[in-house]
Amino acid sequence: MSIKRSLTSVPLKLSTLLMLFFLMLGTQVFAANPEVSDSEEAIAAGKSIFNANCKTCHKLDQKSVGPALRGVTDRRSIDWTKKFIRNSQALIASGDAQAVAIYNEFNQLVMPNHEFLSDDDLMNLLAYVEYGDKADAAVASAGGEGSVAAGGAGIPSEYLTIILAVLVIVLLLILIVLGLIISILTKYLKTQPLDEADQEFINQKSDFKKVFRSDAFVIIITALVVALVVKTALDELYTIGVQQGYAPKQPIAFSHQLHAGQYEIPCQYCHTGVEIGKSANIPSANICMNCHMHIQNVGGKDGISPEIAKIYAAVDENKPIEWVRVHNLPDLSYFNHAQHVAVGGVECQTCHGPIEEMEVVYQHSTLTMGWCIDCHRQTSIRTEGNEYYDKLVQLHSGSKNALKVKDIGGLECAKCHY
Amino acid sequence: MKITHSIYVIAIAGFSIGLASCGASGDHPGYEYAPQMYNSVAYEPLTQIQNEQEGSWLSNREDGKGEFFNSNINNPHGMNMREPVEGTVPRTKDGSLPYRLKAFELEEAAKIQNPIELTDQVLAEGKVLYYQYCSACHGANGEGDGKAGEIVGGVANLKGGAYIDLPEGHIFHVIMKGKGRMGAHGSQISQERIWKIVHYVKQEIQKQ
Repeated sequence: MSIKRSLTSVPLKLSTLLMLFFLMLGTQVFAANPEVSDSEEAIAAGKSIFNANCKTCHKLDQKSVGPALRGVTDRRSIDWTKKFIRNSQALIASGDAQAVAIYNEFNQLVMPNHEFLSDDDLMNLLAYVEYGDKADAAVASAGGEGSVAAGGAGIPSEYLTIILAVLVIVLLLILIVLGLIISILTKYLKTQPLDEADQEFINQKSDFKKVFRSDAFVIIITALVVALVVKTALDELYTIGVQQGYAPKQPIAFSHQLHAGQYEIPCQYCHTGVEIGKSANIPSANICMNCHMHIQNVGGKDGISPEIAKIYAAVDENKPIEWVRVHNLPDLSYFNHAQHVAVGGVECQTCHGPIEEMEVVYQHSTLTMGWCIDCHRQTSIRTEGNEYYDKLVQLHSGSKNALKVKDIGGLECAKCHY
Repeated sequence: MKITHSIYVIAIAGFSIGLASCGASGDHPGYEYAPQMYNSVAYEPLTQIQNEQEGSWLSNREDGKGEFFNSNINNPHGMNMREPVEGTVPRTKDGSLPYRLKAFELEEAAKIQNPIELTDQVLAEGKVLYYQYCSACHGANGEGDGKAGEIVGGVANLKGGAYIDLPEGHIFHVIMKGKGRMGAHGSQISQERIWKIVHYVKQEIQKQ
């Protein structure tokens, strides 16, 4: 029992020691091993090696996927460092305590072998690690802040509406004041002795009443009101069965603006069916997990975001995430994504709108038959490199107009309704 | 006379205001003229109505459920799709069989040859597929500098010395099963398409 305990406590102690090392990184100035050159040539050569092979997992002064590197020649021997870089797994397998500890601390992530690096390459690399780019961390964080600030440029639309509202209120106040002035002046003038023409001018209100009661006026106003009401009613009748603008709340607050916009993940990465099937498909949780096994919160915050936790729950319990379908094409019509995207080369945004800017997805197009037909009338067919169309192109060559979708049956009822 | 006139006007105005709530917005999908023609009676893979009462006002179903209820009560969570029976072999265009190697059998995998013949068209397709499935992390030129990759961290620079000489079978296996911080992409991309990506990576990105 006691042996067992002592055995397990060895790596634990080592890892706590290591943790302390990393905590002290910020304040401690390392005395690099004197064997490491600090010449500028060596640093420059080391930098290109670092950028090509190390950059994505390591930073000089910050913990990343792997440990922060500066000061490594002070913590370890140069020989050990070289061995680890060339073949870390061999070193770990040999039972080297330091190597095993660092392997465990970083979740047993295997570092690729770098046996192609010569001794000189490695010494240059260490020169860069110890003496290169001291401001590395500061630059990185400043860059991040800059990009955030850039997003907030321009006057927000709320301010514009507030300014407009204030203007309207000011105008109304002026109107009221003018009205008051007029009534005061009229009252004053009525007490004064005036000639006949002026009297008539002051008392002209009664003439307005006559205009309001005249038949012509009543007929014109009634006609206008009826026309307006009928037009609104007709417009509204046309929106029945059209779900444009439908933006249901989803079980997970997934933002296309973040994923497709900011991080530029292509649509097909998740919607894998779009080129091979009728439906573009909603990704299953395992596709989310390709990234989200590492990314547990938004904006680099600590802890697990409650929205991302829902993915983990779905995976753990093998329970489907019940997304709400946004685009409900009626059952009476057939639509095939592969036909439009893979064959026709239509961009996703042509029908779905600016998805990469949508925080919550809404139905952008009307998806009415008129909308479909319009596009089929105007769109030319991509015939190059597709021998399916060779005969059709040949048959159509007599016509002056380009070969459109309508020419090959894009307006036939039975293409979509059967 | 005037009273009836104004009643008409008010009635039409009220009707049009009532109609204004028919359009879709937010959580409300709006109404349809003939809902029977909009909702699928058959099971649909991506549309599912779980409320048993939905459409009961026009239902003539024998089981007494609503006309639009179309979830499969025999499946877990009432889903309309089921996982295929274990051991099912999918039919593919090129007749390829399921990939049997396990994630750790990387050395075995490295010996596999690319079954797709290298042509200009395959390279062009590979380029598109690389953009769709790889560029978000590995970057447009494979240097490990994709925007999503910066957040994931630890993305391989495909031009780096540790990766540039890897055999095609190794690349195929890593895409299929994942390695290190990279997840398995076998469920997203068919084998044929992965081999096309491998051609593109070897011929263009890792061109030496």
